[in-house]
Amino acid sequence: MAVLSKLVKWARIKSPWIIHYNSGGCNACDIEVVAALTPRFDVERFGILLKGSPRHADVLVVTGPVTRQTKNRLIRIYNQMADPKFVLAVGTCTITGGVFRGAYGVLGGVDEAIPVDVFVPGCPPKPEAIIQGVVKLLEKLQKT
Amino acid sequence: MSVEKRIFKIPVGPQHPALKEFEHFVFTVDGERVIDVGFRIGYTHRGIEKLAESKTYIQNLYLCERICGICSAAHQGCYAQTVEELADITAPPRGTYIRTLIWELERIHSHLLWLGVAAHEIGFDTLFMLVWRDREVVMDLLEMISGNRVNYAMSTIGGVRRDISDELKHKILKGLDILEERTKYYKEVCMKEQTILARAANVGILTREQALKLNAVGPTARASGVDVDLRRDDPYGAYDEVPFNVIVYDTCDVLARVLVRVDETFECINMCRWLLENLPEGDIRTKFARKIAENEVVGRVEAPRGELFYYIKSNGTDKPERLKVRTPTLANILPVCEMLKGGYIADIPIVLAGIDPCFACMDRALFIDENSEKKWVWSREQLRIYSIKWYKEHGNEVVRERWKQ
Amino acid sequence: MLSESLEVEKEIVDDFKKILGADFIDGQVQRKGRVYIKVKTDAYKKAIEHAVEKWNTYHLSTISGVDLGENIELLYHLLDPKAKITITIRTEIPKSDPKIGTVSDILPSALVYEREVYDLLGVIFTGHPDLRRLVLPEDFPEGVHPLRKEWKPEEVK
Repeated sequence: MAVLSKLVKWARIKSPWIIHYNSGGCNACDIEVVAALTPRFDVERFGILLKGSPRHADVLVVTGPVTRQTKNRLIRIYNQMADPKFVLAVGTCTITGGVFRGAYGVLGGVDEAIPVDVFVPGCPPKPEAIIQGVVKLLEKLQKT
Repeated sequence: MSVEKRIFKIPVGPQHPALKEFEHFVFTVDGERVIDVGFRIGYTHRGIEKLAESKTYIQNLYLCERICGICSAAHQGCYAQTVEELADITAPPRGTYIRTLIWELERIHSHLLWLGVAAHEIGFDTLFMLVWRDREVVMDLLEMISGNRVNYAMSTIGGVRRDISDELKHKILKGLDILEERTKYYKEVCMKEQTILARAANVGILTREQALKLNAVGPTARASGVDVDLRRDDPYGAYDEVPFNVIVYDTCDVLARVLVRVDETFECINMCRWLLENLPEGDIRTKFARKIAENEVVGRVEAPRGELFYYIKSNGTDKPERLKVRTPTLANILPVCEMLKGGYIADIPIVLAGIDPCFACMDRALFIDENSEKKWVWSREQLRIYSIKWYKEHGNEVVRERWKQ
Repeated sequence: MLSESLEVEKEIVDDFKKILGADFIDGQVQRKGRVYIKVKTDAYKKAIEHAVEKWNTYHLSTISGVDLGENIELLYHLLDPKAKITITIRTEIPKSDPKIGTVSDILPSALVYEREVYDLLGVIFTGHPDLRRLVLPEDFPEGVHPLRKEWKPEEVK
C-alpha cells in the first residue's frame, strides 16, 4: 500500500489538476489566472491542467470575495472535490474582501466559507505571483 | 414520441470554472433547437451602488475600477470624467489624451482577449493560445505606462496620475507595430479559416430591427448594422479630435461580431498612434476640491463591450448622494436571448460568448426530462466538448444548409 | 457660439412644455446634448412616448431610481445617437405607495431595468409582465430594498 500511496502522491505533485471558480470578483484575477495558463507564462509546464468538473480537480483556485449568493455554491463545489483537496486564493479581495468590504452583498474573504492553503495577494496578482503561489502549494503537497 | 415529450428545460449555470463570472440560464429546447430562454443574474451582486454612497469621491475611483476587471479603465475613466463635470472642472488636454490612450489600449486588450475566448468556445484552441500570446504585448505596454497589468489606476479626478515620457512613447509605438502585424494575420484567419466560418457564419442572428428595438449596445449592435458608437455620438475625452472610423457589419451573425472587433482593433491601433504623435504639452491634472455642490450628471463612455452609463448625484458633501451604473452586458442580455432562440444547443457557447459577456457562465447544465423526471448534469466544459463533437458529426449538413440561405 | 449651439435643446424644452401643458413641471438644459424634463407622474408615459416619436430617442440607456426621502425619483435616460441628444424624463412618486405604470410596451429594453429598480428600490411597475427580483439573492428578506436611504447594510449581517 505504501508503494501505491507514494505513486499517487508522485502523480499529484507532477500533475495537479485545477478548477477555477470566481466567487464574485471583478474578472481581473480571472484573466490573470487564464493568462498564467497561456504561452507566455505557461503553468502547464508544471503539469497543471485546468479542468471543468470539481470531481476531477485537486486544487480549487478561487478569485473574488464571497458574495451572499455564491457562498453555498462555493461550499458545494468544495465538497464535491475528492480528498485530499487544496485551495488557492488569488487576489486581495479573496483574502479579506478588499475594496468591497462593507458592501451588503459581500461576506468577506474566501476563508469565511472554506479553508484556504495558499493566499496570493495583489489586485490583481501578476501571473508570476500566481505561479509562485502554485509552486508554494506544490511544496506543501510534497510534505503531505 | 409526441412533440410535447421532446420539450426539455435545461438550466445552465451558475457555477463556472473557465473564464468569466456567472449567470444562470434556462433553455427550453425542442430536440436540438432552443425555443425559449430565461435568465437569472446577480450572482456577483456585491452592492456597489450602496457602498459607493458611504465612500468619498476619491475612494470611489478605486471601487469603480473594480466593478469590472477587463474594462477597468473605462469604468474608472467614466467615473472620473463624470465627477469632473459634476464639480465643474476640466482635465488638461495632456491628461485627457493620456486617458484616451489608456482607453484605446484597453480596448485592444479586451478585443484580443475576446477573440481568444471565442476561439476557445468553438474548440479552436490553437488560435486561443496564439491570440493570448500576442495579447501579452499590449499588457506589457499597459504595465509600462501604469505599473500594473490590469486595474491601471491611471485616471484620477481632474486628469491622470502618470505621465508618458518620450522614451516610453517610442516603446509604445514599437509595440503597436507588432500588434498591427499580428492582428492582420488574425483577420485573415477569421475571414478564411473553415473552422471559424463553419461555426460563426449565420449563427446567432440578431436582426437590425431587433437590435434597435431591444437597445443592443457596442459591437453587438454594430455587427447588426446599427451605426452607433458613443465615441462619435456623445463625444467625450479626446474623441472629438481623434480621427477614426466606426466599424459596422450588416450580416448580423457571430462572424460579424468577430470581424467588428478585429477591425476595431486596427482602428484602436491607429488612434493610439495619432494620440501619441499629437500629445499636447502641459500638465496632466488639475486640482480637485473634495466637496461638490448639489448637482447631477449623466456620463457615458463606449467601453469595449458597449455603452457604459453612469449617473451621479452630489449633495454638497465629499460623498455622492447616488451613484448609478449600467454596464453594457445588462443592456445586451435581452438581445442575446433573442439570438439564442431558434439556434442549436451546440451553438449556445459561441453565441453567448458573442456578446462578450462580463458574467456569462455555462458551467453546469442540468437536463431534466419533464416527463420522466430523469436528470443528468452537464458542466460547461462538457457542453463545449459536446458542441464540438456534435459539429463533427452534423457539421457538414448544417453548414451546407446555412450557406444556402 | 454657446447660445447658438444650445438651440435644439431649448426647442426640446419648449416643445415638451407645449405638449404636456399643466403636467410639465420643469425643464432644464444642462449643457450641449443634455436635457432634463420634469413631469407629473400621470403624464410621464405620454412624455416618453412623445420623446420617442418626435425626438427619435429610441435608445433607453437605463432607468435610475433615487431615494429623495419622502419620494422616490425615477429618471428615464433616453438617447438619440444621431442627434447626439440625451433627454432625461424625471418624475417623483411617493415612497409610501411606490407604483407607476410600465413603459416596456414602448421600450422593450425597460423589462430588465424595471426589474432592477423594483429589486433595489421597491418600485412596483404595474403592467410589467414578469416583475421578479433581478440581482438580489433568493434568501434576502422580502420587502427590503437596499438602495432606500433608511436601510443600513448592517441589517442583513
